[in-house]
Amino acid sequence: MSHIHIPDGVLPVWLWVAGWAVALAMVGAAGVLASRSGARRKVPLVGVVAALMIVGMSSEIVPIAYHINLSVIGGILLGPALSVVTAFIVGLILAMLGHGGVTVLGLNTMVIGAEMVIGWALFHAVLRAIGRPRAALGAGLATVVTLAITTTFVVGIVWIGGAVDAAAHETGALDPATLRFEDPFEHGVFEIGLFGGGHDHDHDHDHDHDDGHDHDNDYEAHHYDDEDHHDDEVAADSERYLSVGRFAAVVYTLGPIGWLIEALVTAGIIGYVAGVRPRMVFEGALAEDKSPIPGDESGGH
Amino acid sequence: MHIGRIDSSATLGDSWLHRVSPKSKLLAFATVLAAVIVSWNVLVVGSLTIALVAVAVSARLDSRLAASLAIYPAMFALIFAFSAATSLLGGVVIVLKATTAALGAVIVVLTTPYPYIFAPLQRIVPGIVGDALLMTYRSLFLLLEKFGNLLTAARLRSGIRAGHPVRAARATTRALGGLLLYAFDLSQRSYDIMRMRGYEGRLRVTLPRSASLPTDAALLTGALTLLAVSITWRVEWQTLNPFSWVVPVVPVLGLALALIARRRSA
Repeated sequence: MSHIHIPDGVLPVWLWVAGWAVALAMVGAAGVLASRSGARRKVPLVGVVAALMIVGMSSEIVPIAYHINLSVIGGILLGPALSVVTAFIVGLILAMLGHGGVTVLGLNTMVIGAEMVIGWALFHAVLRAIGRPRAALGAGLATVVTLAITTTFVVGIVWIGGAVDAAAHETGALDPATLRFEDPFEHGVFEIGLFGGGHDHDHDHDHDHDDGHDHDNDYEAHHYDDEDHHDDEVAADSERYLSVGRFAAVVYTLGPIGWLIEALVTAGIIGYVAGVRPRMVFEGALAEDKSPIPGDESGGH
Repeated sequence: MHIGRIDSSATLGDSWLHRVSPKSKLLAFATVLAAVIVSWNVLVVGSLTIALVAVAVSARLDSRLAASLAIYPAMFALIFAFSAATSLLGGVVIVLKATTAALGAVIVVLTTPYPYIFAPLQRIVPGIVGDALLMTYRSLFLLLEKFGNLLTAARLRSGIRAGHPVRAARATTRALGGLLLYAFDLSQRSYDIMRMRGYEGRLRVTLPRSASLPTDAALLTGALTLLAVSITWRVEWQTLNPFSWVVPVVPVLGLALALIARRRSA
């Protein structure tokens, strides 16, 4: 799963702020590392690989309704430092187009970045085991394992995000139990409105109990115990406002289909490129930059 | 992806929102985003959506383009809400939040040229990131056009057919492989051209000043009002929830006025 499609305002603030902090630290470190290693000359390459990933994410494979991510390919081409930078850029432009939230950009950078870096590492590890002639197979295997890991990462994020108190899960004039709007004119036209001060729920509650004066004390105590017990159950139910189990079930059921498609596409592209320009795949795109600027063969510029 | 139409709207548009300074628009967007984050009240979040629709209508933005861009994340949010939300109403709020936040981002993107959106970011991120952002956006136009041509060529040669998914997938994959090599060559050429034009490790963008300070102030005030309403309803929700129906009234009136003004001027 290359990026999380969780809207703004669903995950707790501390989580996405932490995501932003970690992502900015990662991008800062990667930027410094890239500048030191002379990778600044690869700015256009980062740009086109990021653009390529965005193009991939916007192209549906006909007739299967699935968009590819090309993140493992990006990782193989760019290596770890530039991958983190690319992940941030891809996440930012997708967020600008509404594809992924702005607040979850930090977490998305971590997910896409992890996918690119893990994909790069696994691809080279697999390649050492099976040899360069099977680069396409290695890329496919690396993609499946990488996507399984990052999908688990996303489920972990939702698990952390869903584990917060949802006491303020208020939903407005709609009654969540009946899904019916509360009648604003229930108490007369002039009683309601901005000057009325709203319902006094505590008062209503007390009033209800006052009405129960016919009951004897034992029954009343039992009744309150039951009510407290019921309140505890409701509180426990509302403790999580995201169902992690159901989310994981959906993701792990549909996910493998996507992993397989992504693996086939990655294997196809890497196999094609490995046949045409093997250095790009085996040594990374940074290895290729030996042509001088036209008219600057002496390197004086 | 409608990159070309987005860029055309941002650079050629001439509405009151286009004339607002990029800084004010980004600040207003951040404020509205904060309002979306704060609120879990379906009517308050719905009001934010209506308010943003009113702004888009008054700025005469391409309504189909804006709607398609804003609804796209709503579809993903729908899947997320279906799989993760524990109540129907909670799911509705999740989808509304996605649509509203996306609409806010889309309004900024449709009224602000991309270098001005990236410029503030360039000041806080490493130079390589800021430069790569500009390069990415520029490359998108070239790659999308090239990819479209490759797919058209594959279709014309019967490489992509609805009834042959394996063949279609293979043709799409080869097109992407070709695009990758083209992109690589493109990046080399771009770098050579940039160096010959004097690039020394930093692309600089200067932000334009506001054409009308009162308009900027009005936009920011409106955004702050939305945030204030969201915070108030969040803090005092037990008291104010029965009156949540009041909140959408003002944005609905605003939308009606914007629609009338748009029709009269058409």
